[in-house]
Amino acid sequence: MSTVTQFNFEPLSDIMVTQRRDFALADKDLCDPQNAVALVDGEYTVINDSYKLVRATNIAAVGNAATQHSYPLFAERGRTDIRAMADKKMPIIFMGDFEADTRIFNAAVVVGSGAAITFAGQPLKVATITIGSRNYSGLVGHGGAADASPIVGRVTRLPAVNGGKLRYVKASHI
Amino acid sequence: MLNELFTQKLSSADGKEKLAEYGGSYIRDRLREVSFVRKIIPPEQVTRADCQRSVNHDTLVKIVDVEPKSRAMAMSFRGQPTARFIRGPRAEIAFFTISSEMFQKTEQELLAYEMPITKIIEENSVKDIQEIEDREFIIHVEAAIQALQKEANGGIATALNWSQLTGAGVVEFSALKGELARSAGADDATVRPLQRPDVVNLFKSLDGKRLRCERLLFTEVDWDDILQWTVEDFGDRIQSETTVDGYKYNTLLGRPYVRTIKTDILRPGNVYAFTKPEFFGKFFVLNNTKFYIDKIANTITFQSWEDIGMSIINVAACKKLELYSGDANPTTDANALLTNFVPSDEDQLGAVNNRVDQGLKFPQISQF
Repeated sequence: MSTVTQFNFEPLSDIMVTQRRDFALADKDLCDPQNAVALVDGEYTVINDSYKLVRATNIAAVGNAATQHSYPLFAERGRTDIRAMADKKMPIIFMGDFEADTRIFNAAVVVGSGAAITFAGQPLKVATITIGSRNYSGLVGHGGAADASPIVGRVTRLPAVNGGKLRYVKASHI
Repeated sequence: MLNELFTQKLSSADGKEKLAEYGGSYIRDRLREVSFVRKIIPPEQVTRADCQRSVNHDTLVKIVDVEPKSRAMAMSFRGQPTARFIRGPRAEIAFFTISSEMFQKTEQELLAYEMPITKIIEENSVKDIQEIEDREFIIHVEAAIQALQKEANGGIATALNWSQLTGAGVVEFSALKGELARSAGADDATVRPLQRPDVVNLFKSLDGKRLRCERLLFTEVDWDDILQWTVEDFGDRIQSETTVDGYKYNTLLGRPYVRTIKTDILRPGNVYAFTKPEFFGKFFVLNNTKFYIDKIANTITFQSWEDIGMSIINVAACKKLELYSGDANPTTDANALLTNFVPSDEDQLGAVNNRVDQGLKFPQISQF
């Protein structure tokens, strides 16, 4: 089981080759650090029909899997630059390839046709997971050909040999 | 020619400097205007040393002290005053960035322009950035006004429209309707002309709270209605002057005012009143507008940005006059007319007026 801290998502590759874009939150309260379901860095998000940012999955119930391509949040909980803006925009890694360490994952859980995270190179998908006492939109193992969920990355280093963090790569060819 | 010079300069060793040259003539699409928030809360330059870091992330805030409470009392020769353990509230003002788009063009395509397109964009970017300053300001002001409206209505978000004013009732604490909107007979988005009593009532909404209205903010559209004021409003002399020269004084009924053409940010029908900035809020500039330009191979990239913080600290120091009869409370939106009254989305600002791309110019001549 991972542990959520102040910093949960750390890129390990050059971020200059990615496109980091700010999108206004559909629910502005999610940038409030006092909110029980505040967004944290490394959670996955999607852009809704209003061109606004929402969680990739409904976190009301564990096991909801993302059904469309989603993007990792690149902003820690409660950042004041985000809260200072009228539109409460949060940055996501919108385009481009990267490698990152994340704490927002659950290696053991199996969602739908997925699989537990057990080997480097394994594909990853996004689903609602529980870490500690609350739910997040985070990474879980993808089941391969039988799994219809979008693949958002592949494992490059397992948590057991990476200080409890999951290292993964998002590349255009996966 | 300038564009050619532009690309040559970028290719030289010291070429990544701003080009000062200006030339050419071109048709402008719309008027641009400097920020109005800077006339209401003059920006103060701050440095990193003035700010506080966060222990939770890499952002900065500046902490501003707010006046502590104190009072005096009448007492007998033998009595003693009540004590007050002093405490002054503090407010954090966070910084964020306002940036232009990242503009890109190849040097070959730049040669196809006679107007100094890069220079024009650079200069317009400063005003584009200031437009966003204004939009942020108006949204924050509106939030402050609605917060006190809600408080004054018993903590319940209550519609402020003709129906409510003539029906169940609503307290007009921070927002009030104009005289003509009160007698509209329906809830609609029609902007009624500004009347002299409207302005006085707006003054009184601040002046009656031991504050003083020191600045009015109008759209140019609402301002134009002042030119319709009659001899009974203006008096003989001013009416004569206004008829010939327009209203040319810096104050209206003794108070300074700011006019804006940005009707997609400050929507017509909304008139705001503010106190002096020391009673109201802060506008800090951490980094003045910076301009970045680079050329990689034949592609030129440029961008400008600034880092600012602004905050409405005393929410009672701004009031609003609504010249329409519909509800503009974002929480209730009782008449589903809100989009008429609130600032447009960022990406909708500065809609293009001309239709040249669609072939609308007359006579319609094109070479082939």
